[in-house]
Amino acid sequence: MTGDVRKEKKGFLDRTTSLVQRNKTLLIVAVFLATMPLWAKPLSEPLGIDIIYVMRLVGVFAIAAVGLNLLMGYAGQISLGHGAFFGVGAYTTALLTVKAGLPVWLGIICAVIVAAIVGLLVAPVLRLKGHYLAMATLGLGIIAFVCFREFVWLTNGHDGVRNIPNLALPGLEITTRLGEYFLVWVVALIVLALCSNLVRSRVGRAIKALHQSEVAAAAMGINVSWQKIKIFMFSTALAGLAGGIFAHLQGYIDPGSFNIILSIELVVMVVVGGMESIWGSVAGAALIVFLPEFIEAIPSWLGEVPHWVERYSLYEGIIFGLILVLTMIFMPSGITRGLSDMVRYRKSPFVNPFKKKVVE
Amino acid sequence: MDNGSYLLEARELTKTFGGLAAVKDVSFQLQEGIIKAIIGPNGAGKTTLYDLLTGIYQPDQGSVTFHGQQIIGLPTHEITVLGIARTFQTIQLFPNMTVMENVMVGLHHRTKTGMFKASFRLPSANKEEAWAKGEALGYLDIVGLEMQADSMAGALPFGQQRLLEVARALATGPRVLLLDEPASGLNLYETQELGEIIYRIRDMGVTVILVEHDMGLVMRISEEVLVLDYGEIIAEGTPGEVRDDPKVIEAYLGSELE
Repeated sequence: MTGDVRKEKKGFLDRTTSLVQRNKTLLIVAVFLATMPLWAKPLSEPLGIDIIYVMRLVGVFAIAAVGLNLLMGYAGQISLGHGAFFGVGAYTTALLTVKAGLPVWLGIICAVIVAAIVGLLVAPVLRLKGHYLAMATLGLGIIAFVCFREFVWLTNGHDGVRNIPNLALPGLEITTRLGEYFLVWVVALIVLALCSNLVRSRVGRAIKALHQSEVAAAAMGINVSWQKIKIFMFSTALAGLAGGIFAHLQGYIDPGSFNIILSIELVVMVVVGGMESIWGSVAGAALIVFLPEFIEAIPSWLGEVPHWVERYSLYEGIIFGLILVLTMIFMPSGITRGLSDMVRYRKSPFVNPFKKKVVE
Repeated sequence: MDNGSYLLEARELTKTFGGLAAVKDVSFQLQEGIIKAIIGPNGAGKTTLYDLLTGIYQPDQGSVTFHGQQIIGLPTHEITVLGIARTFQTIQLFPNMTVMENVMVGLHHRTKTGMFKASFRLPSANKEEAWAKGEALGYLDIVGLEMQADSMAGALPFGQQRLLEVARALATGPRVLLLDEPASGLNLYETQELGEIIYRIRDMGVTVILVEHDMGLVMRISEEVLVLDYGEIIAEGTPGEVRDDPKVIEAYLGSELE
């Protein structure tokens, strides 16, 4: 091809413009997050929610959710056991920093590596398809939970790991919530940028291809099983990274933090946020992490809980579930897709689930 | 031509499904640079034969040498890398990707960017991506789809989807292209066009095997025709020879005295 011959010398301005255009969403989100501490503080008080505190966790779960979205949304391989890798990451760095005295940043790097290796070890389940893969990964999640609980010599069993050090960069311990917030989101935005590059590349095309037709992907020269293993490991590594950061934010972990509910929540983040959508995972994580906080805070807005909802906490789960069910009925392709359609095509973000679909 | 110079040679290929022989003792040779058609009534084993040649099925017995190398037992993607590409009878495009991206998937094994380079968007990855886009446009140009490069593949009309499958297969850089009923569902004009495109592909130095029901197209463009019936070869020769072969007429129309 003649592309090399007429190599264009692009100016600095041109290059910056194209960089900005390509990463528009990233920039908007970054600016939004950077200014958040300014307006979150006055908002937190009347809402009864410590927004910055919750946002740190949103960042953590966004990392895990985007990793799962690569696997589920893009490559079409469901995992109902991703909480296991989140837990592996959390335990790895917790034990290494508490018992072996490793610095925190090194602990988190080890968490990523160990989660990826565990991902490689269980990768043979990827031979299974559809529901069978879902069942097998569900099983993996349960096995991991039991291991966290029963390997008492390593994990302290039910007692969990206490006194996990704060997040820290080499030579800089982070002690404030605001500091944690910024560090978590810098890491999360880097991860999101990398993932968004990845899905728009040769690798992204390959995983989308094998999602749609494995036979055709193989006929295009793609080593389907190896490609699946690679994206699975990438996904488990991100779950490990999220789990590692989580451990240092919480300061305490026990097996109960990484049970099957966590795996399901990660899947819900991906699906509600929007499959095959990098930023959808962020929205999904934000929704799933904030929703319980909001529901919990409702009574404090009303001043006093009415008599008949005395045992309000019992209803929380119902409201949570109901919102998820309604989201899936009225926005089946996820909230980001629904809302972006509204902006782009000026149409309602909701679909009418009772309308008959026109057969294409 | 002596025996060693065949590009592809199948020997006694047999594949049975639950006692039924879909392909039985099929042997044939393929010379480089020709257009060879495989015809036969529905269920004659044509697509199964393709599946055997591309490693989707493993034969019960028999061998296939491609360029002197035994390819039976190799996985599909390795056979593609060696230089056998195919299209599918039931269209197997990637509908949620653009036309351009579909062809770029075909370039997969001719490009190298891995996860690390891709996620950091290193200069070498950008350079390769630009090259791939140029290449893909070139293949789209061959089938006349360059104007649709940014459309979703699933939104293309049926005839263009078939052509896109051809472009995507060509992007793998094959020496042999196996087309599986490329004209089915095309109108007269599109079929004519397809004939021209197949000539163009042959002129690029790609050997073409064509499974096709459209006899007009087969007789017009192919240099050799192989006729399958119930998984067995019943005739082989030039289009003229095959057309007058009583066994072929019988297979298609039934015997005269029954």
